[in-house]
Amino acid sequence: MFGLIGHLTSLEHAQLVARDLGYPEYADQGLDFWCMAPPQIVDSITVTSATGQVIHGKYVESCFLPEMLATQRVKSATRKIINAMAHAQKHGIDITALGGFSSIIFENFNLERITRVRDIDLDIRRFTTGNTHTAYIICRQIEQASQQLGLDLAKSTVAVCGATGDIGSAVCRWLDARTDVDELLLVARNQTRLQDLQAELGRGKIMALEEALSLADIVVWVASMPKGVEIDPTTLKQTCLMIDGGYPKNLATKIQAPGVHILSGGIVEHSLDIDWKIMNIVNMDTPSRQLFACFAEAMLLEFEQWHTNFSWGRNQITVEKMEKIGQSSVRHGFRPLLLPPLT
Amino acid sequence: MPQLQASPDIDFHSDTYRDAYSRINGIVIEGEQEAHENYIRLAEMLPNHKDDLLRLSKMEARHRKGFEACARNLSVTPDLGFASQFFASLHENFQVAASENKVAACLVIQSLIIECFAIAAYNIYIPVADDFARKITEGVVKDEYSHLNFGEVWLKDNFEATKEEVEAANRQNLPIVWRMLNEVEKDAKVLNMEKEALVEDFMIQYGEALSNIGFTTRDIMKMSAYGLVAA
Ligand SMILES: NC(=O)c1ccc[n+]([C@@H]2O[C@H](COP(=O)([O-])OP(=O)(O)OC[C@H]3O[C@@H](n4cnc5c(N)ncnc54)[C@H](OP(=O)(O)O)[C@@H]3O)[C@@H](O)[C@H]2O)c1
Ligand SMILES: [Fe+2]
Ligand SMILES: [Fe+2]
Repeated sequence: MFGLIGHLTSLEHAQLVARDLGYPEYADQGLDFWCMAPPQIVDSITVTSATGQVIHGKYVESCFLPEMLATQRVKSATRKIINAMAHAQKHGIDITALGGFSSIIFENFNLERITRVRDIDLDIRRFTTGNTHTAYIICRQIEQASQQLGLDLAKSTVAVCGATGDIGSAVCRWLDARTDVDELLLVARNQTRLQDLQAELGRGKIMALEEALSLADIVVWVASMPKGVEIDPTTLKQTCLMIDGGYPKNLATKIQAPGVHILSGGIVEHSLDIDWKIMNIVNMDTPSRQLFACFAEAMLLEFEQWHTNFSWGRNQITVEKMEKIGQSSVRHGFRPLLLPPLT
Repeated sequence: MPQLQASPDIDFHSDTYRDAYSRINGIVIEGEQEAHENYIRLAEMLPNHKDDLLRLSKMEARHRKGFEACARNLSVTPDLGFASQFFASLHENFQVAASENKVAACLVIQSLIIECFAIAAYNIYIPVADDFARKITEGVVKDEYSHLNFGEVWLKDNFEATKEEVEAANRQNLPIVWRMLNEVEKDAKVLNMEKEALVEDFMIQYGEALSNIGFTTRDIMKMSAYGLVAA
């Protein structure tokens, strides 16, 4: 059995969802309540592979909300993640993806030092960040959506916002090794980590966001921001592909400029319908088929019976591992989400 | 990303700590005493389980002695007057339910609510306890899981017949638990135990128990949060 640990994008979103699902005692509550709320299994899932194989899974709502980070309620945030993990393990789930902020919180606050939760010894081999598959899917989105727009990668500048992150650094490695991208722009705040990444890649220009935005043909958004940023579309290139892989989204602005194309990043489409309720809730366009690539990674590990923390730690994703999970992704019928056909 | 603050070093012998400890430890001792008496009463109500219940009752008496030793170790006199006030409402509700021979309600109060409360509090106390108390509490919490299990099994076996009585007991007693938590919030904080974490752990343990008994996720979300916001 596979598991998915997820959370909602804001308090407002959480209240709306609770009301929709018919949990009024959760719907009317403020952040204080969510800080005390326990994890819950709120969905059971059946997935069929393109090969015909059928697997089952559960969705664990951690009750974490990004506002907990924005308001310094770090202890609550870390409790949500650890408790959701213990909950998944206690329910016998073999491999669980830590979606959205879950893995980021786990890493940033060194939660690996917590090995015992109440009467449970946490077995981290049962968890995956899902970032290898996410990075792979984003790279395939860059390759394929650029083609849709007639952008030649060999002549394109790609900016990666959140380049030093787990997903961002993997994307940079792939773009460097597997594509002939002309120029890589590396955007993040911490300069030391940026310089380390630049040294590892042996290329790439470290740049502030505003400047990078004005130069890039393609912008990959994989920064961990509790709230999205506002950008001014007039500073962008005439034709520009924006792949927003943030959860919550990195882009707060709904950009409506003719040449600017926005694509949800790290999203896959399955070739068969999935029986679940939960993707309605996170506002997917086609909820029965579209899902986060990190969740799909847990499904792939279950299909393959690779019950191991395939993606773990920080900045250790190799191109080889991306390829391995990528092959599995194709085999079982997942495809990267692309732009709607251009008219 | 904000930073996680390291736990401050705790001075177990400071006046502030020992003052707060006198009330928290008093509550714990009183809680174990209540549990001891409640299981004796339950043994009378459930003659088929008499031996089991008397065994649980003896364990509770041992727990009380252990926590009394924790107080002596820090030269603290437990505030038992405060503690019996603290438990008065739950005590009263248990007595009334017992006199009406409502086994399910009694089990909700003792084996679910009091045990889950104890498990949550002990689990959160263990990482911030002094060495002596930590060892004792670790031993106790293991026992409490088995007490919770007794209630779960009985209520599961009698689920259909007692469901409404369980729900009513939940509505009657859970708000009392939230009030009790508010009453000790300040003292618990001095011991480095946070109310939010206590509530969360209680809801996790209590929800798990309700699930083992046979309630659905939907029931559990309603029941385990009942009255929390008003508190
Ligand atoms: N679609 C999916 O399936 C999926 C799966 C997993 C994760 N995600 C999302 O992907 C994003 C990245 O995840 P991750 O695990 O790679 O995170 P991560 O390892 O924590 O990396 C985050 C990166 O963002 C940078 N960053 C943070 N705040 C920034 C800011 N204000 N401006 C510029 N850069 C900033 C960080 O560097 P500095 O701190 O130095 O700025 C770092 O380079 C998150 O939003 C996450 O929720 C999506
Ligand atoms: Fe006890
Ligand atoms: Fe007990």
